[in-house]
Amino acid sequence: MHDMKNFKQLLNPLVYVLVAGLCFTSCEDKLKEQDGQLGTGDLDYTKTSDMIMPLIGAYAQIYSRGWEDPLLIGVRGDDVNAGGLGDQQPFAETDLFNYDKGYWMYNSLWTNMYSDILDINNARETIQTYKDFAPESAYAKADQYMAETKVLSGWTHLQMSRVWGSVFIITQSDVTDDLANGVATKAEVMKYVSDLMDEALPYLPDMRPNQRTDVPGGVTKYTALAVKALANLELENYQEVANATSTIINSNKFMLFNDFYQLFKMPGELSNENLFEFQYSDYGSATGSVNNHLYAPFGPQNWTPARTGASSGWGFYEPSFKFIKFMLDRNETVRLQTSVLFTDRGIAEIKTDPAYATLPSWISNTTPDGDVINDFNRAKFSSGKHYLPSKQLTDGRNSYGSGKNFIVIRYAEILLMYAEALTKGANASGMTADQAVNLVRNRAGLGDLTGVTHADVMDEKFAELAMEWGIRYFDLIRLKNYAELSYDGRTFTEDKALLPYPQAQVDLLPLGVQ
Amino acid sequence: MKARLILFLFFLFSYSVSQAQELTVTGTVTSAEDGFPVPGVNVLIKGTSRGTSTDFDGNYSLKVNRGEIVEFSSLGFKTVTVTIANQTTLNISLEADIEALGEIVVVGYGSQRKADLTGAITTVQAEDIERTPTSNVMQSLQGKVAGVQVVGVGSPGDSPKVRLRGVGTFDGSNNPLYVVNGMFYDNIDFLNTSDIESVSVLKDASSSAIFGQKAAGGVIIIQTKSGKFEKKPEFVYNGYSGYQFAQNVVKMANTEQFATMAYESGSSTDIANIQNAIQRYGRSRINPNLPDVNTDWYKEILRPATISSHSIGVNGGGENATYSLGANYFSQDGIMDMKNEYERFNIRSNVDIKLSERFKMGTNMVFSNATKYNAENGAWFQAYFAVPTLPVYDPLNTEATPVAYSDATKIGYRGSQNPFPTMRFNENQLKIRKLLTNIYAEYYIVPEKLSIKTSYYHDYSSIEERNVRMPYFISQNSQRETSSIRKAQATYSNQIWDNVITYKDVFGDHNITVLGGTSYRDEAVHNLSATGEDITGIDFESSWYLDFADPESFNGNVRDNGGRVYGVSYFGRAEYSFMDRYLINATIRAEGDSKFTANNWLYTPAFGLGWVISEENFLKDNNVINFLKLRASYGKLGNGSLGRSSGTRTVSIVQTDIGDQPVSGIVSTSNFSNLEWEVTEEKDFGISARMFNSRLTLEADYFIRTTDNAVIPVIQPISNEIVRKNAGEIRNQGLEVSLDYNQTLNDNWRFNIGANISTLKNEVISLAENQEYIDGGSAEFRQRTRVGDPIRAFFGYEVLGVYQNAAEIQNDPIAMANNLVPGDLRYRDVNGDGVLDADDRVILGSYLPNFMYGGNLGISYKNFDFSVNVSGQSGNKILNRKRGEVIFTSDTNMDADLAINRWHGEGTSNSYPSSAGLRKSWNQKLSTYFIEDGSYFRIQNIQLSYTVKPGSLLGKRMPETRLTFTAERPFTFFKYNGFDPEVQDGVDRQTYPVPAVYTMGINIKI
Repeated sequence: MHDMKNFKQLLNPLVYVLVAGLCFTSCEDKLKEQDGQLGTGDLDYTKTSDMIMPLIGAYAQIYSRGWEDPLLIGVRGDDVNAGGLGDQQPFAETDLFNYDKGYWMYNSLWTNMYSDILDINNARETIQTYKDFAPESAYAKADQYMAETKVLSGWTHLQMSRVWGSVFIITQSDVTDDLANGVATKAEVMKYVSDLMDEALPYLPDMRPNQRTDVPGGVTKYTALAVKALANLELENYQEVANATSTIINSNKFMLFNDFYQLFKMPGELSNENLFEFQYSDYGSATGSVNNHLYAPFGPQNWTPARTGASSGWGFYEPSFKFIKFMLDRNETVRLQTSVLFTDRGIAEIKTDPAYATLPSWISNTTPDGDVINDFNRAKFSSGKHYLPSKQLTDGRNSYGSGKNFIVIRYAEILLMYAEALTKGANASGMTADQAVNLVRNRAGLGDLTGVTHADVMDEKFAELAMEWGIRYFDLIRLKNYAELSYDGRTFTEDKALLPYPQAQVDLLPLGVQ
Repeated sequence: MKARLILFLFFLFSYSVSQAQELTVTGTVTSAEDGFPVPGVNVLIKGTSRGTSTDFDGNYSLKVNRGEIVEFSSLGFKTVTVTIANQTTLNISLEADIEALGEIVVVGYGSQRKADLTGAITTVQAEDIERTPTSNVMQSLQGKVAGVQVVGVGSPGDSPKVRLRGVGTFDGSNNPLYVVNGMFYDNIDFLNTSDIESVSVLKDASSSAIFGQKAAGGVIIIQTKSGKFEKKPEFVYNGYSGYQFAQNVVKMANTEQFATMAYESGSSTDIANIQNAIQRYGRSRINPNLPDVNTDWYKEILRPATISSHSIGVNGGGENATYSLGANYFSQDGIMDMKNEYERFNIRSNVDIKLSERFKMGTNMVFSNATKYNAENGAWFQAYFAVPTLPVYDPLNTEATPVAYSDATKIGYRGSQNPFPTMRFNENQLKIRKLLTNIYAEYYIVPEKLSIKTSYYHDYSSIEERNVRMPYFISQNSQRETSSIRKAQATYSNQIWDNVITYKDVFGDHNITVLGGTSYRDEAVHNLSATGEDITGIDFESSWYLDFADPESFNGNVRDNGGRVYGVSYFGRAEYSFMDRYLINATIRAEGDSKFTANNWLYTPAFGLGWVISEENFLKDNNVINFLKLRASYGKLGNGSLGRSSGTRTVSIVQTDIGDQPVSGIVSTSNFSNLEWEVTEEKDFGISARMFNSRLTLEADYFIRTTDNAVIPVIQPISNEIVRKNAGEIRNQGLEVSLDYNQTLNDNWRFNIGANISTLKNEVISLAENQEYIDGGSAEFRQRTRVGDPIRAFFGYEVLGVYQNAAEIQNDPIAMANNLVPGDLRYRDVNGDGVLDADDRVILGSYLPNFMYGGNLGISYKNFDFSVNVSGQSGNKILNRKRGEVIFTSDTNMDADLAINRWHGEGTSNSYPSSAGLRKSWNQKLSTYFIEDGSYFRIQNIQLSYTVKPGSLLGKRMPETRLTFTAERPFTFFKYNGFDPEVQDGVDRQTYPVPAVYTMGINIKI
């Protein structure tokens, strides 16, 4: 009896310990749960309709550019300056060819570009996995999507090599092998880009980007040809430039947008002139989601907008006096008015040069859309191609340039590359260099030229493509026309052609001597 | 045999007779040492649960039967037992128990005699905590515990930063683990200070290893107040109210000084802007070169603010149950002149029930309901920059709506500067509701020896956030066209289920305690947030709901995420002591956590050894040394507060514009983290001693704690994704000494004095392979983590002085190469290559102090008590980013020290550049010019109190009443050019200054 009681006393805790033990075995299974995340292995690759999602992701990554990217790529040209003093002085120093490898913008451009390349490669590999599970009928789609990622990757490699010369070629998401190969020379990179476009071409849609219905504005066969032309231009392989550009021209699919001013505004979005375009929108609504580029650095610091409330910009991108005077000398109106936002202070300063004491009456600090650019400390002019009239802003959206697309490659550049290639001795197939140049001139309201020389084409490129993606700077570097870069008190020497590798990357990567 | 029976019957009879003979015994209990009455002495009839305790004057009254044994016991005194014969008056004199063997310290999953400890534990009692008028108990520990750094906060309701023995993690949380009545917390902002009975700081690894995960930041055990068996109900009111004032307000350059700087800058726009201000706001009649405006922006945005607290509670107990119940209301306004305040209402209860001699159950609950309005800290920063030539209001700004605030762009400046739109058109409300509950059952299988206890804890917290953004227009650069409201709801549900079996026994001189247990942990968090724009009826708080927003605006503005982490642990502890001389403690915990993908399991063994030398024959009964113990301990600690590793590449959803339509895509990562526990290893060597009749106590510890697999960010080549890896090693080491002395001089005078110091050396021992450093901070204000230096040290140039004249420029090729002029800073060419570039940057110091100290003095005279606490630190640096941000905007105001002491001609300054120099990028590099000494000495707390003893006053019966006057942080002495040297992570940009607080308080016990 007594023992029994003791036993019972002991039993209660025993049962309890047993139950606890049982529970703990099941509790330990919980340790393997990863609540709240989505692994790549969790995607349903048999759902072929989702195969487009990684492609859209790749576009999203290439569109979402740091504000500093286009500024740093373009600022060293003789078409544009960094603006005066204020913050970001090393940016202004870069414009003066005094480089600081520790400056954050250099590293930021580098990391933005390379992380995009990796994301793009990732997208291609994910599409391949979808393809592995897809019915045969979807193979063509998969191949097209993968080809599109190659175009995006090619353009990015091209930009990087223009800025830094020798860089790594990154072909997949696992970078081990690519890093082991070391950096490729600029010529190797451009060759790689050109070959990559050849790989992509057979799978890409034969249409203009704005004709695409699956991904309106996405890249096509002609975008790939354009990137190929750009790569070969860097290689001074003019016959290949002529071949690629003439294919685009002879497709008869592209045409110059008739209103040069509006090309860079809302009406020019996804026009028949555009071969590659970063797309942004506030979707016409005052509220809700926005996918915008930060255009404020391009804008004037002080303005009186036609639509009250519209925000001004930072004044970081100032068309140069050299460019403005060059345009005035040519009696340019449309392209000058489109490219430059004037301030009274800037106009007054041009006039201090006796040669420009009287300016055409249309030059004023009021834009054709009625925005008044007031004097501001940092700069005397602002970029007109990156300006969206306040009247074109969506009601309720005030950020500078909200919703405006960013044109990357347009038909005018194709025509002028073609013309340049011919004047450099390439064989024509289709129109003449004169015809190509005159198409561009006529749209700008200028008369025809005959017997265009290489110098004529370069002047035309300067006038047509100023402030766009450093085209002018990289042309002068390629042609070793360094005298042009020693302007307004600057002294350019050949050793300044490339930006130094960012310090953070030198510390991280086997970059070697640049 | 017969005789025995008779004897037995006689006793039985006499027992029943005596039972009938109940006496009321009264008396006074005093201390043998000084004759003072001893309040709170437990007076218990042995073998029963009947008893009472002495009142404030040491008096007691108890009904006793003849022959019963009455036991008088109190902490720190030897227990006295008296058999009651016939006496009705029984005065007892208690002898101090100088061994204080009875003092019990709360440790992990149990308690231990203080004398048996082998680790470093410091306990702070309620009376020391209650001196500080604060919403957060940790604030009151500032300067009180050696080795604990408390960095105060000024914003109401926020928690101070607490660092225990340095920083041992890079990526994870360094916060200590708070164990509140057994439940784990990383934030105790919900606890009312006066509800706390004691705070035990477990400093070394051997003490805290049993807590496994999160213990690496140290463990702080908090017990809330509980009742006592056989105690009459005691009602307590405790309250104070007072004012807070900003102190050491930074003196800014006034209009005259600012204009001088502008004229000297040589910048035509800066000079023009002064003229613009004259044109717009009129000319000063005193100095016609100045505008008729002289705004002191800090004065404009500051206000005196109130603070008050009221607590009521009751505690006591009967034969089988104890209870402690209470409520508290706390309210504090912020010193920033906007909707900035904190209000909290707490209720608590603590009930323990003896169901039988063997079976005990209890429950414990704290519910806290707080509303907090956060300040717009950006205003601290804007007020620094706003030029004094700008008034707050500008009647000429007619386009402004709804208030005609001024805007600096109107007089030519780049930014709008005025902080008031930020303060007036934003409101940030948080409703913070936290509930801590637990229930336990404890069963003694063998009475007083073997027990089993199961406890379940639930911490449920809900934080509702409402950020209202009202529309306004001041200028194009300072405007908000569309109103918006962001609502965020975060709920946390954390559960723990502990099971512990404890065995205690004594075999002769051998004392043994063995404990084993399991713990199951489930931590769930859920966040839901949405932002709506264009609110209809934004002017009325009653319509601050998303239902009144434009439904279109939710697109892309709704977030929903969460996570759930599970943990399973097994733990044990063994304590052994022989003759109270030789002590061994050992603990182990094995803990699995789902957060880690590389290796779920953590093992944290620890052990400690103690040698109580004073128990040895050669030192026993020594007149000077009453107690002396040497301690040594070793242990491992885990840090699980690291954020989850994914263990696989993950996918996220992105949206982009395709053909003017928002389209979703997916992006996958190229790399992933695959982490295991961070483990910190610690060795601690200590001495505990009491001398001179235990008047002088000494605690000293030397520690080395090393985290050898610290999680650090490693930048992946090309992708530049930052992947966290267990690849770093960080070490903290230091010495902690605290000394306390107390003495009673005579019947009227008593005093105590104490001091503590601690040193700290923080060092990065290694980083990942081929990783030379980890860069933190921003590009302009670099903080670099590098082997051999402290974590996140400031990194930049060393200033040698200022170029004074043209000859100095001529003679320095660096000055010539950079086109410098007199008034520019001269930097050290560290590598001596004749070029000043990024390679000349050096470590400029750490935000961690290497020396901290605190002290206290208490004097009692009759009913008056006076106390002073001081604290201080040195060796830490502060980045004065207010000055440093001249790199972004050079046309703004500066502090008066800089304006007055600028270089303005040969010999005028060798530390500050000229006005023109301030605007040059050469002088804006991060350098020792912006890195300032963060040392300070502070009078932490002064308190004067007067106690009215219970009795009669003016013919009325008065309860025991204590009146106090408190000055918290009244004086701080420092060199730093800012409000306050208390800057949490050493970067002062918009630090909310910690105000001085003055309160009157009253404490009533009935």
